[in-house]
Amino acid sequence: MTAAGVSKPVPVADEVSEEFWKAAASHVLAIQRCDECGWFSYPPSLTCRGCRLPGRSFHYEPVSGRGRVKTWTVVREAFLPSWKDEIPYLVAVVELDEQEGLYLTAQIVGARPGDMAIGAPVEVVFEDLAEGISVPHFRLAGKRMGR
Amino acid sequence: MTGPRFTGSRQVAIVGYAHSMVERHIDRPLGLLAIETVAQAITDAGLTLDQIDGFTTGSLFPSSGGRGVVDGEHMVTSDWLVEQLGVHPRWICGFQGIGQVVGAVSLAASAIATGAADYVVLHRALYNPPGRYHENPMTTAEGEAQWRAPQGYWGPISEIALPYMEYMQRYGVTREDMATVVVESRRAGSAIPWSVWHDKPLTVDEYLGARMISDPISMLDCDMPVSGVAAFVFTTADRAADLPHRPVYLAGFAQGRARPRNGIGFWDLDSIIDSGAQLADNLWRNSGLTLADVDLPQLYDGFSPFIYFWMEALGYCPKGEASRFVADGGLRPGTGKPFLSSGGAIGNGRMHGIPQMLECYLQLSRRAGERQLDGMEVGLMTQATPNFGGAALYTASKP
Repeated sequence: MTAAGVSKPVPVADEVSEEFWKAAASHVLAIQRCDECGWFSYPPSLTCRGCRLPGRSFHYEPVSGRGRVKTWTVVREAFLPSWKDEIPYLVAVVELDEQEGLYLTAQIVGARPGDMAIGAPVEVVFEDLAEGISVPHFRLAGKRMGR
Repeated sequence: MTGPRFTGSRQVAIVGYAHSMVERHIDRPLGLLAIETVAQAITDAGLTLDQIDGFTTGSLFPSSGGRGVVDGEHMVTSDWLVEQLGVHPRWICGFQGIGQVVGAVSLAASAIATGAADYVVLHRALYNPPGRYHENPMTTAEGEAQWRAPQGYWGPISEIALPYMEYMQRYGVTREDMATVVVESRRAGSAIPWSVWHDKPLTVDEYLGARMISDPISMLDCDMPVSGVAAFVFTTADRAADLPHRPVYLAGFAQGRARPRNGIGFWDLDSIIDSGAQLADNLWRNSGLTLADVDLPQLYDGFSPFIYFWMEALGYCPKGEASRFVADGGLRPGTGKPFLSSGGAIGNGRMHGIPQMLECYLQLSRRAGERQLDGMEVGLMTQATPNFGGAALYTASKP
């Protein structure tokens, strides 16, 4: 989890993201959803990108945590010093099953670069980063986390 | 061809320039180099400092190596410059978005065309701090960083790697294909006396052996962080007629979409090319020119895949066929166009759109010296990515 005693960056919730991180702490992936038109937004948005109407209200809704790899990269140089011990590691754009174009950029754990392919199914896993703080990552579906 | 939508098309001209040496690191403050370069540009235009009544720049992405950003040290704003020069121009304005040089050109042109200023200096100053350029020692991830840093996702190199991987996978493009582009950029750059890569061309094997940073981006797909300054002087086409150098006229410009709020730092390949095509459409309508009119297309290359992306967005080839377009001689005289004659950012160093703009000015004003190309009448510069960058068109003659 750390490199040379440097902690990985801990997410700091704000007014809009608070419920996302609260759900993540319980290992639930919850995505902001428009009360009116049902559009999911990630990261959470102040206006609905689905209906584009002002004054919409939102709630956070647990999702399946399943999706597909849109694209990926193998990070071989850690621009965040706290990630030095992890290189090389995988970061992918995951398109969640719930909505076309609902993308997350996330670390892919337990996989090697050669395992990656566009369209590969993935599922969410959580890393406990600190007391009460967990971060959603993904793994290739059907594979056990080998870390 | 219809007339330009811009009433100011070819009413604004570039009349002089100066460019410092491009170096990995400089041994004096960036601001002093900017003052010196701006003074040279004003002299080059046949003017004096007291005649300059407008200043602009685009200073986004100051790099300070993780320390606090200091104006004059890590960036140079027009405000800093004016204050140091002790002058009181009628007009000062800085462009805050991406596509900094095109943005600043659009501001300079608007000031000249409206009479807000008669002579405008546009400068761009880039600084390479000691240490690693993008490294960030953050321990908490706030704001947009909360969606990226806890995933180990950080910095522009990985942001470009994602759509480039999508491109390579979808169209079967390889690093061998891209080698043609990067080697040509470095070949051109090696002939530029002020380039950080002067006399340092690259071989295909060197490119293929480069250290990978964020697959499929290697060290040699990125421009080299550098320190350097460029400055240009703008005025009206009428005033330009009385100045020493052949003027180069601004025919039009267009800017991409507002950079979307995008906490995840991902732009999918189709949106990059499609919104770039809209930008190109605006550019042709604004200027009254077409792609076929362009003799000198200078494409932005802060990362090598941008060359492919811009070729496709502008319509030089269909989506997914840029590597084939290059393989079929797209970069060679006779069969293609001088897309990379400036060397670009890959051949000069990270001067953020300046190599492309300077090449348009030098070739169209017939001041390119030994590198002068024949028949250059219309030049195109692009900057940043097709989806939220910018583009400008220049001509060697008035209509």
